[in-house]
Amino acid sequence: MRNFVLGVCIHLLYLSIGFLFLLPLWWALASSLRPIDDIFRYVSPFSWKAFIPDRLTLQAYYEIFFSKGFGLAVFNSLLVSFSTVVLGLLINSLSGFAFGVLRFPGRNLLFVITVLTFLVPFEAISIPLYTVVRALGWLDTYWALIIPGVANGIVIFLFRQFFSQVPRELVDVARIDGAGWLSIYFRIYLPLSKPVLVSAALLIFLFQWESFLWPLIAVRSENLKVIQVALAGFEQRYQTLWNELFAASVFAALIPLLVLLPLQRYYVQGVTASGFKG
Amino acid sequence: MRSRSETLAAYLMLAPALAALAIFRIYPIAATVWGSLCTESFVVAGKQIFVGAANYVDLMKDPIFWKTIWVTIKLNLVINPFQVCLAFGLALMVNQNFRGIGFYRLLFFIPIGVSLPIACVVWRIMLDPNSGLIDSLLAALRIPNQPFLISQNQALWCIVAIASWKGVSFWMIFLWAGLQDVPRELQEAAKIDGAGAVQRLLRITLPLLKRPLLFVLVTDTAVNFLLFVPMFLLTGGGPSYSTNVLMYEAYKTGFVYGEMGRALAIVMVMLTLVVATVIIQFQLFRQEQS
Repeated sequence: MRNFVLGVCIHLLYLSIGFLFLLPLWWALASSLRPIDDIFRYVSPFSWKAFIPDRLTLQAYYEIFFSKGFGLAVFNSLLVSFSTVVLGLLINSLSGFAFGVLRFPGRNLLFVITVLTFLVPFEAISIPLYTVVRALGWLDTYWALIIPGVANGIVIFLFRQFFSQVPRELVDVARIDGAGWLSIYFRIYLPLSKPVLVSAALLIFLFQWESFLWPLIAVRSENLKVIQVALAGFEQRYQTLWNELFAASVFAALIPLLVLLPLQRYYVQGVTASGFKG
Repeated sequence: MRSRSETLAAYLMLAPALAALAIFRIYPIAATVWGSLCTESFVVAGKQIFVGAANYVDLMKDPIFWKTIWVTIKLNLVINPFQVCLAFGLALMVNQNFRGIGFYRLLFFIPIGVSLPIACVVWRIMLDPNSGLIDSLLAALRIPNQPFLISQNQALWCIVAIASWKGVSFWMIFLWAGLQDVPRELQEAAKIDGAGAVQRLLRITLPLLKRPLLFVLVTDTAVNFLLFVPMFLLTGGGPSYSTNVLMYEAYKTGFVYGEMGRALAIVMVMLTLVVATVIIQFQLFRQEQS
């Protein structure tokens, strides 16, 4: 009996914390599916119906995509995120291969510098970065959004850690067979690194999907707005179109959650390995 | 077995990433230092004129700047220990094993997929003083309506709450990974010796978790010193500068008022504060070790 009570208490504790995490998103979802007049109907005085919509409508989603141009922002974010992932996986894994497998003078020094660059947060350099990108003539282009996010010290670190654990004999055998370094990388190392590829891709994807300050200052024109900036603009312009604000928020959260939750394990591996193993 | 072809191949393979890091990470840091000593010319667009320490001297004379520093420090004194403690508690929770834990882990993971701008938009509506969900829940508990984000005294703490709602799950992952490295045998042995749960936590788990804890504290500090989105979206630094942090002030100075040199000087002050705080944190952790 005592065990039973204890078990109930534990579940209640976990449930209430889980509820705290779920509540804002759930309420946003429920509210995005109601007509706008219903949003605060059950809030004050409070009723459980605040969390379960009784009159369902997709009007808010229709509005944000067909009259507010939210689709373009989703497209921009997807384009920027995927381009960064593809380019980032290629150049960071090449560097990881060089650092982890090849022997050359200056290796340790360059590697330390590479990892140190990660310690300077992106937000801190966004203002000087603006002048760099302006000098390159990239302001208000996709380049400004994609290229500065491609090289990533932590992703290089991840690949380097993984590649340095692969037995070097593989390389020696391939070398005797006359294989070039690039083909060793493409034929032997890259196919082995699927788990790192997944966790690195997730890290880069979320980094770009969530970036806010940099796109805010690097891009001004409406048709290059990424999703987070569009959401913020939305929030400032249509403060009282609650159901549409909620619909946009839910949609912006849905895509990363759909990617993240099934691949949770890889993400945790990537994040934790970037933290302190090494 | 070092060969010339190997060296050449290595440099070629490193070239794209290292060039990009040099241009987009390392050069901007140098540009911050230099730019904070300059002002932009009114005559030739983009031309910088060296003005020495003038930007810093101007800042020191500005009472709002001092207020901004104080708000930044106040925020960080609270938010960093708060988030690390919560993340540690959550990590202990997800590290348990019982039926249904997978479901709870999923719930605890949700905020990782929710970006800070989304969290801000949704929480603003929930914290609305006229018709917000939170005030109506409080009313059900017979607590009077609170002004939340429009109050000088509450706005900063609301931002702490929102940023923590979004942030703690992420930091939980690191501490959870650390907990999994604590050998089970050690716990079992202490249990047999009669050590209670609290004692085991203080004597075994915490000391073994020192590295991940320090890592989370330091990284979290760097993130929170640069916290920007909630001020931009929710308060605009107000009411009456009560949430005006350095990063937001730097953004406004550079991109609303167009004073790049001054903005970069603010960034420099901010980075100095971050580095100083991180050094103090390292010292504190080292002292505890001896």
